Amino acid sequence: MAISVKLDRILLDRGMSLTELSERVGVTIANLSILKTGKAKAIRFSTLEAICHELNCQPGDILFFDDEDNAVKAAE
Amino acid sequence: MRAIGKGSLASILAMGLNITRIILWLGFVGLSVALVVIPFASIVYGMFQGFQGGGALVESADYIEIAYQFASFGVMLFVVTRLLEVLKTLRFGSPFVKENADHFRTVGYALLIGEGAKIAFGLLSLITSADVEINTQPITWLAIITVFVLAEVFHEGARMKEEQDLTV
Repeated sequence: MAISVKLDRILLDRGMSLTELSERVGVTIANLSILKTGKAKAIRFSTLEAICHELNCQPGDILFFDDEDNAVKAAE
Repeated sequence: MRAIGKGSLASILAMGLNITRIILWLGFVGLSVALVVIPFASIVYGMFQGFQGGGALVESADYIEIAYQFASFGVMLFVVTRLLEVLKTLRFGSPFVKENADHFRTVGYALLIGEGAKIAFGLLSLITSADVEINTQPITWLAIITVFVLAEVFHEGARMKEEQDLTV
């Protein structure tokens, strides 16, 4: 998927564990793991808002757009 | 009426399908026995009739009828087994899984093959004296189309369920 999630990096920066974030945000560890490992197909605005609020960051600090297709085409 | 569990429509359907499956297996065994016994019975009876100047008991048309019955029993058994698999997924949680879409699709193909066999054996009966009628009904074709539509619905349902499960 072109959108990647860098939750582990920001968690490391804030010194927060996934379990702690799960308790603060009110999302199960299983769901946060899905998000962290990049398996998630979608994220609710409410979840994103809660994560950004607890980690004191912007959505752009968590979500990144990897334009791999265009990069491959440019290389060709 | 409950959706799953004891006394639910799904459990009643599963029970009915299991009974049907047993009957179909018995039919298969019966046909297999008939296939083995008929030639011998024919020889014995033919010999007996031979003394009295009679004709053969079993003709090739009888074997065509048995082959037709084998084909129709096979299709029915396949469909019943697939429907039981679908009901099993209902018991273990959500029925919206890709396997069920595949089950419905294979049921559709099996019904198509069944109807095709019916027509083929019917045509074969025209050149032999086998008693197989070519009586394909429009409602049967509508049922086959319905099964394929269901397969597509289940395919899309499975995709939506997966997306919902992976929404955080």
